[in-house]
Amino acid sequence: MINLTINGKAITAPEGSTILEAARANGIDIPTLCYDKAVEIYGACGLCVVEAEGIPKLLRSCSAKCTEGMVINTESKRVVQSRKIAMELLMSAHEGDCVAPCQLNCPARTDCQGYVGMIANGEYDSALKIIKSNIPLPAAIGRVCPHPCEKACRRKNVEEPINIAQLKAFAADMDLNKDSYVPECKESTGKKVAVIGGGPAGLSAAYYLTIMGHEVTVYDMMEKMGGMLRYGIPQYRLPKEILDKEIAIIEKTGVKLVNNVKLGKDFTIESLKAENDAVIVAVGAWKSSSMRTPGEELQGVYGGIDFLRAVIQGNAPEIGEKVAVCGGGNTAMDACRTAVRLGAKEVYVVYRRTRNEMPAEKIEIDEAEEEGVIYKFLTNPISFNGEDGKVKSITLQVMELGEPDASGRRKPVPVEGKTEEIAVDSVILAIGQKLVQGDVSELTLNNRGNIEADPDFFTTNIEGVFAIGDATNKGASIAVEAIGEADRCARAVDAYLNGQALDTRVPYISKRDESTIDYSDRTKQSRLTPKVLAPEVRNKSFAEVSLGFTEEEAKAEANRCLECGCREYYKCKLLNVAQRYDINPERWAGEMPQKYTRDENAFIERNTSKCILCGLCVRSCREVMDIHAFGLMGRGFTTEPSPAFALPLDQTKCNNCGLCVQLCPTGALTEKFNLPKQVPLNEEYTEEFVDIDGKKASVLVSRYNGKVLRVVPNDEVSRSSGLSREELFNLL
Amino acid sequence: MRIVIGQGSCGIAAGAEKVRKALLNTDINPENISITGCIGMCYLEPIVDIYNEDKLVRLVKVSEKDAPAIAEYVKTGDASKIEKLVVSDEDSEFLSKQTRIALRNCGIINPEIIDEYIEKDGYTALKKAVCSMTPEEVIEVIKTSGLAGRGGAGFPTWFKWNAARQSKGEEKYLICNADEGDPGAFMDRAVIESDPHNLIEGMLIGAYAIGAKHAVVYVRAEYPLAIKRLKNALEQARQKGIVGNNIFGTDFSCDFMIKAGAGAFVCGEETALIESLEGHRGMPRLKPPFPAQSGFWRKPSNINNVETFANVAWIINNGGEAFAAMGTEGSKGTKVFAVTGKVKRSGLVEIPMGKTLRDVIFDIGGGMKTDKAFKAVQMGGPSGGCIPADLIDTVIDYKALGATGAIMGSGGMVVMDESTCMVGMAKFFLDFTAKESCGKCIHCRIGTKRMLEMLDRITKGEGKEGDVELLEELCYSIKDGALCGLGQTAPNPVLTTIKYFRDEYVAHISEHKCPAGECSDLIEYKIIEDKCKGCTLCARNCPVQAISGTVKNPHSIDTDKCIKCGKCYTVCKFGAVVKE
Amino acid sequence: MNKQPIDLSLLDGVLEEYASVKGSLITILQNTQDIYGYLPREAVELISEKTGIATSEIMGVGTFYTQFRFEPVGKYLIMLCQGTACHVNSSELILQTIKDELGIEDGQTTEDGLFSLKCVACLGCCSLSPVMMINEDTYGALTPDKTKKILKELREAAL
Repeated sequence: MINLTINGKAITAPEGSTILEAARANGIDIPTLCYDKAVEIYGACGLCVVEAEGIPKLLRSCSAKCTEGMVINTESKRVVQSRKIAMELLMSAHEGDCVAPCQLNCPARTDCQGYVGMIANGEYDSALKIIKSNIPLPAAIGRVCPHPCEKACRRKNVEEPINIAQLKAFAADMDLNKDSYVPECKESTGKKVAVIGGGPAGLSAAYYLTIMGHEVTVYDMMEKMGGMLRYGIPQYRLPKEILDKEIAIIEKTGVKLVNNVKLGKDFTIESLKAENDAVIVAVGAWKSSSMRTPGEELQGVYGGIDFLRAVIQGNAPEIGEKVAVCGGGNTAMDACRTAVRLGAKEVYVVYRRTRNEMPAEKIEIDEAEEEGVIYKFLTNPISFNGEDGKVKSITLQVMELGEPDASGRRKPVPVEGKTEEIAVDSVILAIGQKLVQGDVSELTLNNRGNIEADPDFFTTNIEGVFAIGDATNKGASIAVEAIGEADRCARAVDAYLNGQALDTRVPYISKRDESTIDYSDRTKQSRLTPKVLAPEVRNKSFAEVSLGFTEEEAKAEANRCLECGCREYYKCKLLNVAQRYDINPERWAGEMPQKYTRDENAFIERNTSKCILCGLCVRSCREVMDIHAFGLMGRGFTTEPSPAFALPLDQTKCNNCGLCVQLCPTGALTEKFNLPKQVPLNEEYTEEFVDIDGKKASVLVSRYNGKVLRVVPNDEVSRSSGLSREELFNLL
Repeated sequence: MRIVIGQGSCGIAAGAEKVRKALLNTDINPENISITGCIGMCYLEPIVDIYNEDKLVRLVKVSEKDAPAIAEYVKTGDASKIEKLVVSDEDSEFLSKQTRIALRNCGIINPEIIDEYIEKDGYTALKKAVCSMTPEEVIEVIKTSGLAGRGGAGFPTWFKWNAARQSKGEEKYLICNADEGDPGAFMDRAVIESDPHNLIEGMLIGAYAIGAKHAVVYVRAEYPLAIKRLKNALEQARQKGIVGNNIFGTDFSCDFMIKAGAGAFVCGEETALIESLEGHRGMPRLKPPFPAQSGFWRKPSNINNVETFANVAWIINNGGEAFAAMGTEGSKGTKVFAVTGKVKRSGLVEIPMGKTLRDVIFDIGGGMKTDKAFKAVQMGGPSGGCIPADLIDTVIDYKALGATGAIMGSGGMVVMDESTCMVGMAKFFLDFTAKESCGKCIHCRIGTKRMLEMLDRITKGEGKEGDVELLEELCYSIKDGALCGLGQTAPNPVLTTIKYFRDEYVAHISEHKCPAGECSDLIEYKIIEDKCKGCTLCARNCPVQAISGTVKNPHSIDTDKCIKCGKCYTVCKFGAVVKE
Repeated sequence: MNKQPIDLSLLDGVLEEYASVKGSLITILQNTQDIYGYLPREAVELISEKTGIATSEIMGVGTFYTQFRFEPVGKYLIMLCQGTACHVNSSELILQTIKDELGIEDGQTTEDGLFSLKCVACLGCCSLSPVMMINEDTYGALTPDKTKKILKELREAAL
């Protein structure tokens, strides 16, 4: 035995063993990408380098042998720098999307490709579980979300994006209409967390923390839970019965819900802090913003969210026949369409820019118009005029579009001396909402008047108190943003309860350069949208406008997905190492070595633009199988593992043993799933044994949600059996 | 009278073969017309040496048209018509100032005739070694001589021989690395073409010393003449019993094999060379194990470079001390350099270690051939670096050269004047290494490519602040992380140019200017009105009709149309075209 | 340019001599290229059959070394030196001249099948830089005009 020291730990290793073997045998992890016991040592990736005292060069631990008295450091500054640059260089030449752009653009990082794909496969339970791992209120969010995911969807380059939000609502509805999925909670940790505010942020944080085994109570000032989802969104968009059901599921996980209690009146942050191990402040932004226009104080002028809340609570104010809604966002749309439904005859939307610049969803703008709303574009109120304290008319300044402003939109500028006056019975100001500052006097606010919380750790000025959602940092935003924060905050709080601090920043992932993608081989297929109630029906009713997808429609729409994200995401060794070091491959951005191409047969897919040239496929095919289906072709930067004469794999001696796929550290070689629509899934592998011609053979079986996805040969018998994947399936 | 025509590749390229054929067509007795290899005065090729008894008349820059005049001289002794061809005293100094050991027979003997080698004490050292010395004694003499590997790294030869000798195993290989890949180096080619037996003799002594029965020469495919002459020499040596079984009647036997490379610089790296010898892709193996333990066919193998072997016979005959008497403390003997570039006298220069760069470039090389000032000398090719003018007195010594950031290298010495852009130079070498990278390890495969891309951007005026620092970071990381020597030394041209010419990088990046006026994206051609005579030559030569003007009136260049080919600049006889 | 039908019997001698000698793949490929001017796929397949070396390995070796070609080359193969001395002495101008004169890029062959252009590593004639080799002949101290003249002469000689 040889005595040596690794990272300050004295260990012994058998004579002849490499530093890598010695380290791994002692639980010290040294990253490798080109090393595998099945094949000869190669030394290409250089990630396994370590520093040895007294030896000037870095050693490749995969090949360097242990010597007596050696003193090794596997994570020295020099080693880390070498690995970091290696990974940066590698990723600068690795073209692929770890996850799909829809997921990246979702503030809650929902795996859209995952659930869309599973809907396409008819696996609705799996789809729902995927969604619920990021969004506990999918039926609600699917209905109301402005879906940033769809803005990033690459299908738009073919014709139109996938209708991701509606598919989410579809999967969620399917679940609500049966025995709903309630996740299992981990064993109780005995830790208590209080959440202030029962909106999307608070409920979501409570849900995830409960699943993690903590005891969570949500305190809310209103009579019912749901926050802005309940009190800020009209019934015709989000029926409250749906919200109730989803909140009931959250309650079933074990979250305690306490209503009609108000921060500052019934308790303080400090008092909750004293009774709990952590507190999350998610109080939202419940105050309508002012326009600072003369006459706002007149009777008949309402704040947007105040108006919506009153209607929802059954206290609709008197709005008369002529209503003007000021603003161009989704709240303005909710307000004007609600006004229509309350019976107003003339509903104006006063907006200082044009239709193109409106921040509201296009479908909302269109549907409102269908319901009779009149747009007054390029006008801005300069005064609300009243009689006897009650609003009677608005003086509008006529605007025109000037130079683009910081947001890139053309800035509205007044047309000198040109005004207009419209008669109104009421005005609804839907231009924004703010935190009620008095409620959170214990916390430090930022210069915008919102709670100052760390954007990645969610910590506040009080230790153990975290803050998320509309009340924090940049202020009010969309619900899914708050849910995303809640999800990450739950993990940060969980870490805090374990005595750690967790940075919830999303670690490095690889993305393709969008500009290089060619869609010409895709067949055009129009986007499907659920049917809606006819305008003349819906403008008199608060019944839900959207009728939702039928199963057939949902499947067809989901099938349009381009499958951008990598199937190997969950077990990619390359990504794992990349995320271990704080890398920035952008520094070395340059030409890609290979064109993004795919070669596939019935079960293997090759994509050399993801290849990192570890050589494991070529080497294993040669050394283990003696089949030589691939060789390394060319040299230098553009070296490529390929069959001779660039033949497809099916025209080589390849016997489909799958060893190359198994050893591939990334997604350059992948084995397809036993699903019609390919979806990246976090499958679980188990080794199982089957009988092949009387011989015991080992196979690896991957499952997701109980369904077998892949069966991969795992020993000599199964690899040389020549059995197809289908035949292997049948042996299970 | 004996007429000898210099017929190395350079001489032939310059027209030596045409001269020979023309001479054969005169009435000179063909038996008196012979050839020799490379004399080393490449800038004067073709060269014809006329030996009259002991007197040598050397004619330079001879063309086939001069054949009758030469014939007349041979016949009548009338030198009047060849006087203009006779080498000048100044040019003769190019050779007289050298000390030739490795090149001692080059340009003197006919490389295709073994007897001419034997006449020059050829194969006496081999005989001495195998007949009267033990292998250990041979190694001891080499140790005394201080001979170090001439391929670039400068590793002590005796040490490698000893390691291979000590290695267990019946079957051992002695390999000669003649894969001279450094662009700008051609010493090894000259030795093989001009004195192949000297190489064979050195290798046989080496084989005897390490106990190898097989010798292999791995030679570049780009050197067909060298391969031809080496094959011929081996055949002659076999016939004389010098190569094969029971050499000089002893029980020492050694066969020879010549393997032609197929175009891959990385095969100059020992383990890649072995891979290539075995018929594989020339991708380096991990070390350890070193070739001395497990090399060609996994047998103990020793690899030395051509020039190293070319010194061995001389050392055995003259003693290790005689060799060690030349040079410096840490660098013994002589070194051959291929001096090229903007130097007046280019060719092969062999001098004792310890001389200075100035001795080689100015004293022997005659300084610049242009009217521009000496700027830097590139040594060591893609693994080496650029040594600036103010270090011209650096001593030729492994350590002293290493201290500059460059390396001794295999002997390429490319001289540059003020018109050479140093960023462009770094880019040139990175382009080379990126193309030659085998692609196995990440640092070299992607790192050299990324460095090249950055340098390319800089020379195009697209560099960003911080690029130099970024380049340096990448350089150090590649040196640390690359698998083999090619990658580990690839950053040297970048690092040395940054070290000595940082201002030039900065000028490209911050001012979008190329101080040397070489980067075409950063320069503009202009015609100075006062100097232009209106000769129209530039306009007629412009490939894109970007120059306008009428006869006898000043011309002007339309910079929008100009493709910056530099044609006008080259053809103008009045210096009216300038680069800015 | 049409590919000539491949007469594989031309390989018999080479394969007889080297097929069973281990480590000879590169030598076999060099001989094959000498025969056909490039490495035809049919020849690679035959070599694979006779030597037992997989085609993927043979092509791996073939594509690694710059000497090997997989397409027929023109009557004149221009190998332009890319060495340091040539670079310092403006070989770039020569490359541009050849490209302009022949209308081809590095690695291409003219439509009439006369010329192929290949930029190669240092030819070792640095003192004569810039240098090119056309088939077996070396041309040194090139200028754009001299290069044009050489190409013109070769073209005329071929007609």
